[in-house]
Amino acid sequence: MSILIVLAKSLLGGLAVVGFSLLGHAGHPKRFAGLFAAAPSVAVASLALTVALKGPAATVPYAQGMLIGSAGMVAYCLVSLYLIERLHALLGSILAWLAWLAVAGGLYLVVGR
Amino acid sequence: MDGKELLQDDHEPVGFDWSKLSKAKPGEIAIRFVFGASIALIAATVGHFFGAKAGGLFLAFPAVLPATLTLIERKEGTTKAWADASGGALGAVGLAAFALTAALLLRWNPGAALLFALLAWALVSIGLYYIFRISGLFLKQDQLLAKRG
Repeated sequence: MSILIVLAKSLLGGLAVVGFSLLGHAGHPKRFAGLFAAAPSVAVASLALTVALKGPAATVPYAQGMLIGSAGMVAYCLVSLYLIERLHALLGSILAWLAWLAVAGGLYLVVGR
Repeated sequence: MDGKELLQDDHEPVGFDWSKLSKAKPGEIAIRFVFGASIALIAATVGHFFGAKAGGLFLAFPAVLPATLTLIERKEGTTKAWADASGGALGAVGLAAFALTAALLLRWNPGAALLFALLAWALVSIGLYYIFRISGLFLKQDQLLAKRG
């Protein structure tokens, strides 16, 4: 894997995140704005670049893995909702990563491999 | 969490206030860029060493949310951070619709697949938002997860 490809994915991913987060920044009410916090920003950039460089067949497994990761993302948001108020946003939202890891990692081990 | 503040915010009309973009601080934008770029890097690296499916997991990793929620809490309070995470949960269901659409259509037409996948994300997440908003499901979610008292 060329370093240049990885850097291009990284750059495009970062730019896509900024784009979607600006949409969230301008959106209202806050729950509507929150939709953009879970937008497929990194995914769009990464899948587009992978499909252009390696073709669709090599890209499909990335999308399948992402589908598993999405279940973890739902779990993350629900657990962070529970923790934000009790532990504050920084600690609550970082601890909620464990929920992502448990659900996404667990599903990957059971059905993903 | 302040229930009255949340209810007041929920009653705002849906839309975008583009004038807010001029108030976005370069440092906050830079933080999001760094987190986004980092997770794209991690996804690519994991994909290379452990297989594409393992790398794909990280395309749905909530890398930027802690920074976003912390910034919102600091500037606008815990209630607004809660509301943002609450919307994020619906966006995450949309994220699954994005991944499913992409996985099903990529072999047929990659360009169209990504466009349809984005459309699926928008339809599912915005559709769910309106269902929750109109039906009062947001209130039920708040009652279930918020701290009592």
